[in-house]
Amino acid sequence: MSFREYDRKTFIADTARAFAARRIGRRAFFRRMAMAGVGFSGFASTFLGGARPFGGLTNLGTPMAMAQTPDDVTAWLKDVGQQFAGSTVRYTSEATPPTVVASELKSEFEEATGITVEIEIVPLEQVLAKATLDAQGQLGTYDLYYLDQAWSALFQPDVYNPREYYEEKPELAMPGYDWDDFSPELVKAITTANGSVMGVPFDIPIFILMYRKDLYDKHGLAVPETLEQFMEVTKALHEAESGNGIFGTTGQLRSGHYSLNCDWTAWLWANGGSIFDANRMFAGNDAAGMKGLEFMLELVDYMPPDAKTWTWDGEWQSVAQGLAGHVISWGEFFPGLDGGDSKVAGLMEAAIPPKETALRAPGDCGFNEIPHIGHQGGSSIALSRYSKNPDAAWLFMQWVTSKDVVARSSTVGGGASPVRLSSFKDPRVLEAAKPGAGTTRHFPAIEWTINNRMGSEPSDLPSWAEIANNVIPVELGKLLVGQTGSPEEAMAAIQSQTDELAAPFRG
Amino acid sequence: MSTAVRGRTPLLPRWLTADHPLPWLAPMFAMILAFGIYPLAYSIWLSLHQRNRFTRVDEFSGLANWVQAFGDQRFIDSLLVTVQYTLTCLVFQVVLGIAIALLLDCERRGYGLLRALMTLPLVVPPAVTGLMFLLMQDGQFGVLSYYLKLVGLVSPEAPILANPRTALWGVMAADIWQWTPFMVLILLAGLRALPKEPYEAAAIDGAGFLQCLWHLTLPMLSRVIAVAVLIRTIDLFRIYDYVYAMTAGGPGTATETLSFYAGRVFGVANFNYAATLSLIMLVVLNVVCFTFLKLARVRF
Repeated sequence: MSFREYDRKTFIADTARAFAARRIGRRAFFRRMAMAGVGFSGFASTFLGGARPFGGLTNLGTPMAMAQTPDDVTAWLKDVGQQFAGSTVRYTSEATPPTVVASELKSEFEEATGITVEIEIVPLEQVLAKATLDAQGQLGTYDLYYLDQAWSALFQPDVYNPREYYEEKPELAMPGYDWDDFSPELVKAITTANGSVMGVPFDIPIFILMYRKDLYDKHGLAVPETLEQFMEVTKALHEAESGNGIFGTTGQLRSGHYSLNCDWTAWLWANGGSIFDANRMFAGNDAAGMKGLEFMLELVDYMPPDAKTWTWDGEWQSVAQGLAGHVISWGEFFPGLDGGDSKVAGLMEAAIPPKETALRAPGDCGFNEIPHIGHQGGSSIALSRYSKNPDAAWLFMQWVTSKDVVARSSTVGGGASPVRLSSFKDPRVLEAAKPGAGTTRHFPAIEWTINNRMGSEPSDLPSWAEIANNVIPVELGKLLVGQTGSPEEAMAAIQSQTDELAAPFRG
Repeated sequence: MSTAVRGRTPLLPRWLTADHPLPWLAPMFAMILAFGIYPLAYSIWLSLHQRNRFTRVDEFSGLANWVQAFGDQRFIDSLLVTVQYTLTCLVFQVVLGIAIALLLDCERRGYGLLRALMTLPLVVPPAVTGLMFLLMQDGQFGVLSYYLKLVGLVSPEAPILANPRTALWGVMAADIWQWTPFMVLILLAGLRALPKEPYEAAAIDGAGFLQCLWHLTLPMLSRVIAVAVLIRTIDLFRIYDYVYAMTAGGPGTATETLSFYAGRVFGVANFNYAATLSLIMLVVLNVVCFTFLKLARVRF
């Protein structure tokens, strides 16, 4: 008997009813409850907001993914790394797919160099807190930082420029590292703040369209190419399927969480708005901005009511449980949706996000903001200036972002999207482009979106981390649940706080 | 006596065998200094400064952070949520605690097992309890939501934790479930220690259960109740785990407690303001506790 065989909604209720009606004995009752507890515990672990949603490293161990580090790289690691044998490199990160993969593959690096790598995986908000404490106190507890693009500017004084480090230490430079293999768009959007390169691209979650092909076919719907069509298809799906417990779309709208900021910015940008104007003043409440907010509020009507309590993990679960017809969200959802425990395995397709209704030019925005519907939530790996073992950490940083490891990260089923151009063409990546757990068949949509519709938050603003985490999602959360009277009132509250926090950097 | 001790232990250093209490107090004093006084002093220092998070320079700002707090509507709201949370949970836990303790204060067979089972919720980590209640109240999968919907108490369009009117109750349910047994155990110990004579005299005078409860049990138990209330008040006032696990302060700011707000401010590296909020919390909590101790005439 397995918990999965039962509907999660009614398992405990049915068991309790059966026990009350004396249909099952006390022993069976306790056994079933224990099973439910275990099942719920596992299910619960994805609801804390602490972990990124993906289907696990399903292809780990397969020849495709687990080919060892190439001989020439291993020889180089042995040659250069031995001088640092016995040292320890510490790195803290969110449970992003490449971090989890790095954690699994790091033994190859450790064996070759004798350097110990400790990877501490904690929820996103704790990564920020830990990295901030380390940097502000110049403690050197961590040798490498995981820097979300939203915080990059905050850490500008605390990290080495990796390009300069590479040039200055040729004896430590990995042969064939190939900086040009990183997409220039990604380097600019993820790793650059105020013109300074701060790290190496490590992760590129980006918004794409993921839809239920079976439902599209059933109702004769075409893949939406414009924002208006997306709304029409959402409504059509909702009207046709809500009776079956399927909502038009879903969301990540938990109040006070960065995920809500991500959803809002996508709709803001897709409707021609921007967070800041060219004068670096808040512009989310201009005509285009209000249109974007209204678009989001209209979409909320076609989402599960619980979407207001979900971050990205809840959103992913809702799609995996078959509660939504389609969604524009993180592409890294897709491999997990295509296999494992997903109820929609094999039913989903990935596509490029629909064309924006209007688009504001980056030059009309502030702080290096780049409006586009394909909101990117990329991150970089950066070398701390306070590191006690910067050279050893630098070796690991190069290895973990090397062509081979990036390509393998993309194929082990963790949902990691390639940050290197070559990875999209890697034979192992192409081989995995078929339905099933750990698929890479959504990569063409990812690659196209990176190159054509990638939206980026204002990466030059050091206080953006506070605005994106503690201002926008709080005020929008209040609006969504009726604590704020009107959209205008919510935007006014965001404007006053944002302009105050941005003031020191307006120049 | 001290001469005799010295005589028996000639190898011990003189300071260790002296009558003076200082050597024996020193370790504890060092611990209090390191883990109590220094952090407190540092927090006060932080609250009187403003750190530029980008130039890494600290500047004296006087009472600016304190003034900011009292003009901060979010701080006021979070304080109100905290007070509401503390008082409501306290009332439920005290009333339920007394009722269950009275029910379990019995020597009949099986009651010992029931008393032992009461401790089970206490050994579950609060974050796990929060997750359990998060799932039970989930609008799609939750068993609690399922039944509340069946009886019409919850609307499918407004899940418990997504509705600002019910979210705080949803969080409080976890707290009440987990900590009522703590009240029960303390009160049960108090009940067991009460003298039997007053009850025998009352029985001879024809007093009923309620009269005994009102005129004997509760007055005699008042000191125990006061201590339990004091401990729970301190715990409830700094509630964080359930809020973090279940709502992250939402929906909106409906469940944002003071400690959660301070934690969030700390998380975005505004250490000065976070320290100020923590100190305000400390002051409020101390005032409440001392007032309560005075009113309840509790002495330790």
